[in-house]
Amino acid sequence: MKQRGGFYKSIAAIVVAVLLVALTACGSGNKNNSEASGSPSSSSSPKASESESASESPSEEPIVEITAWDLQPADSPIKALKDAQFEEFARRYPNIKVTHIDASQTNGREKFLTAVAGGEGPDISEPAFPDMQVYIQKGIAADITDFVNSSPEKDRFIEGSFNLASKDGRIYGIPDYMYTTGLIYNKKLFQNAGVANPPATWDEFATVAQTLQEKNPGTVGFDILGMDWADWHFEYYVWQAGGDLTELQPDGTVKLTFTSDAAVKALQYYKDLKWKYKVTQKNVVQDYPDNQKDFYTGHSAMILGGSDTAAFTGNGMDPNDIGFAPFPVGPAGVAPSQVGGAFYMVNAKSSPEKQKAAFTYAMFFMSKEQQEYFYQFHKDNGLGVNPLAIVKDIDMSQYVTDVPADFLAGVLKSAENPQLEYYLKSSLSSYVVKPIQKVLLDPNSDPLTELQKAQELAQKEVIDKYNEDVLSGVAQ
Amino acid sequence: MENQRELQLFETNQKRSRSRKKIRWTPILFLLPSIIVFFVFKYYPIFDAIYISLFNYDIINPPGRFVGFGNYEEFLGSETFWIAMKNTFIFLILSMAIVFWVPIVQALFLSNIRRFNGMYRVLYQIPSVLPIVAGVLLWKWMYNPDRGLFNYLLGKIGLGPYGWLNDLHMTKLAIVLPGFFASGGVGMLLYYAAIKSISSEIFEAAKIDGCGPWRRIGMIILPNITFVILIQFIGFMSGVLLSFDNIFVMTQGGPADASLVVALMIQKTAFVQSRFGISAALSFFMFIVIVILTVIQFRLQREEE
Repeated sequence: MKQRGGFYKSIAAIVVAVLLVALTACGSGNKNNSEASGSPSSSSSPKASESESASESPSEEPIVEITAWDLQPADSPIKALKDAQFEEFARRYPNIKVTHIDASQTNGREKFLTAVAGGEGPDISEPAFPDMQVYIQKGIAADITDFVNSSPEKDRFIEGSFNLASKDGRIYGIPDYMYTTGLIYNKKLFQNAGVANPPATWDEFATVAQTLQEKNPGTVGFDILGMDWADWHFEYYVWQAGGDLTELQPDGTVKLTFTSDAAVKALQYYKDLKWKYKVTQKNVVQDYPDNQKDFYTGHSAMILGGSDTAAFTGNGMDPNDIGFAPFPVGPAGVAPSQVGGAFYMVNAKSSPEKQKAAFTYAMFFMSKEQQEYFYQFHKDNGLGVNPLAIVKDIDMSQYVTDVPADFLAGVLKSAENPQLEYYLKSSLSSYVVKPIQKVLLDPNSDPLTELQKAQELAQKEVIDKYNEDVLSGVAQ
Repeated sequence: MENQRELQLFETNQKRSRSRKKIRWTPILFLLPSIIVFFVFKYYPIFDAIYISLFNYDIINPPGRFVGFGNYEEFLGSETFWIAMKNTFIFLILSMAIVFWVPIVQALFLSNIRRFNGMYRVLYQIPSVLPIVAGVLLWKWMYNPDRGLFNYLLGKIGLGPYGWLNDLHMTKLAIVLPGFFASGGVGMLLYYAAIKSISSEIFEAAKIDGCGPWRRIGMIILPNITFVILIQFIGFMSGVLLSFDNIFVMTQGGPADASLVVALMIQKTAFVQSRFGISAALSFFMFIVIVILTVIQFRLQREEE
C-alpha cells in the first residue's frame, strides 16, 4: 500500500509511541524478578475501595444489561484472569449486568456476522484491526466519539491509537492491544545446527533453513503458510520486495498490483523455498494453528508470527527457546513488520444506555490497575508478555523481566518499520491465495501467469464493482 | 316401499358424507408442532433468502438497496461461480461412483448372511454415530504428507508418497474417499429392510426356475427396491450438492479452488465478504437446481414404471 495517508501516519505515530514505552522498559533494567508461581491465583485482582465503588455506581441508576463476547473456555490459560476481572467489574458496577458469552470458538467472524445480521450482535466485542475497518464501513461499530472525548482516560492511550478505528474524524473503537510481526525461530534447533544468528536476507534465509533441516533430522527449516490465510504472510514478502498487493487511489478507488515486479518476485521466492531449496513442510496447505503446533513441538525451526508468544509458551515451550527477529530483508532491502491487534467495539444497534455501559465496561479493562493485573498475571504464570503496551502509564519493565533480552530487542527492531495489511484484504484474500497455492503445489506453474490470472479475476469480480460504487457514492 | 328404500339410502349417504367432512383433529394436533417448526426453520428461511437475494443487503439497516436480479446476474457472470458449479458436479459424479452404491452392496451381502447378522448390522451402524467433523479430521491427519498414516503404510509396500490434499489433481478424490469406508449406516439398513420385504416365495420360485444369484439381483431384488434407491438417491444427491462440512474442514475449498463448491462459496460470500445478498441468491439458485433434478428423477422413475 503506497497511499494510505492518514492511516499510515497513524501507524507510524503509534509504533513510535509504543517503542518509547517499550524502550523505557528495556532501559530501566528492573531485574526485580518475582517468582513465577504457576498458579493463576498468584496475581490478585485489584479491588476498589468501598467509597470508590459507591461513587462510581450510584445505586439509584437503573440496571443496564449488556452482552459481551469475552467468556474464556475452560481450558484457556487466562480463564482465571478474566473471571476475576468479570467479578471485580460486577462488584464495582452493580448497575451494569454483563452476560459473558464464549466467542473463542473457531469461525468467530462468521458467528459474529450471523449474530449481527440476526439483530443479536453483542453490545461489546473485540474485533481485530482489519475486521474493525470493515465493521466501521458496514456501520456495525457505534460512533463513540463523545464517550471517548469526555473520558479522562483518553490521554492514557498511545498517541494516535484511536485513529486506526476512526473515520472522518469520528471514533469507533477503543484500542485493546497491539502486536508486531517478525520471524520466530527455535533457538535450540539453531544451536544444534551451529547457526548463531537469525537470517537477515532472503538468500541467507534459504541457506540457513537448509542447514537447520540438515542438522536437525525430522524437522523442517521453515513452516510456510499456504492454507486459507496464505495471503497474510505472503504480503510481507511483497513488502520486502518493495511493493504491495493493492493501491488506494486518491479518489478512493482501488488498483490491484498483483502483477507488480515485487509481487512476482515474492511468489517466485515462495516457489523456490518449496521446490528449489526444499525447506518447507510437505503439507504446505496446513493452516496457521498447525504451523504453530509444528513450531512448539520442535518440528519446524522457523515460522512467521506476532510478538505475542502465548500460543507457544501456553503449550509448554520454554520462553528461552523462542527467538524473535525482524523479517529477512528482500530485494528492496526492506522488511516492514505488520501491525496487528484489536479494538473494543460497541454495537451500533445497542440503545444509548447499553452503549454507555459497554463503553464503561471496555474502559474498565483498559484502566491502569486492570492492565497491570493483566500483565502481572501473564508474568506470574509464564504466559509470555507482549512487550508492546497500548497505554502509556504501564511500566513494562516490571513485566518483561522474564522475556529474554534478545527477544525484546527483536520485537523492538521489527516494530521500527510498521505497515498495515493490504487494502480490501477481506474481499481479495481468496484471489491472492489461489496463485500462492498453485506455485506451492505445482513445480511447473509460472508465478507471473498465476498472478495475472488472479488479478484479472479479482478485477472483474471485486474491483470493478467496488470502484464503480465508490465513484457513484454508494457506501461500501 | 320403494320410496322408503330411497329415503334410507339418502340418509346413509348423508351420514357418510358428514363423516367424510368431519375434521380429524387428533392427527392434526399431533402434526401441528412439527409443521410450525418446519415453516419457521425451513420455509421462512427459504422465502427470506429469496427476499434478501433481491437486495444489496445491509446487515445493519436491512434490507439495503434493491437491486432486483442484479445479484443473480453478478454471480452467473462470475468465473469463480462456474468453477464452484463444475467442482460441485464433479463431486456428485465421484460420490456416485465411489460412495452411493456401497450400502446397496452391503445390504445385498447382509441379506444373505444368517449367522451373526445382527452383529454385522450393529457394526455397520457404529461408524455413523461418529460425528462427521471428527471423522473428517481423522482422515485429514491420515492424509498429512509429513506425518500421516497413509503415506507411512503405503511406503511400507513401496507406494507413494502421495500429496493427497496437497495434490491439485487428487484433492477431490481424497475428500470423497472417506465416504467409501463410512457409507453404511441408515442407508444400508433401509436397503436391507427393502430386500427383506420381498416375498421369499418369489426367490424360491426363481431358484426352482434355475435363476442364479446375479440374475436374482438384477431381475428380482433391484426392481423391487428401486423406489428406496430413488428416495435414497434424492437425499444423497442433495446432500452432495450442498456438502460443506467435510470440504470446509479438509481444504476450505482449496488448494487453488480445486475443491471450491457452491455451498462453500455461499458461506464465504456471506461471512468473509459480508455480501449476504449474493449469498442468498446463490442459496436460492442451488435450491432451484436441486428441485429440478429431483423432479427429473421422479419423472424418469414414473416413465420406467
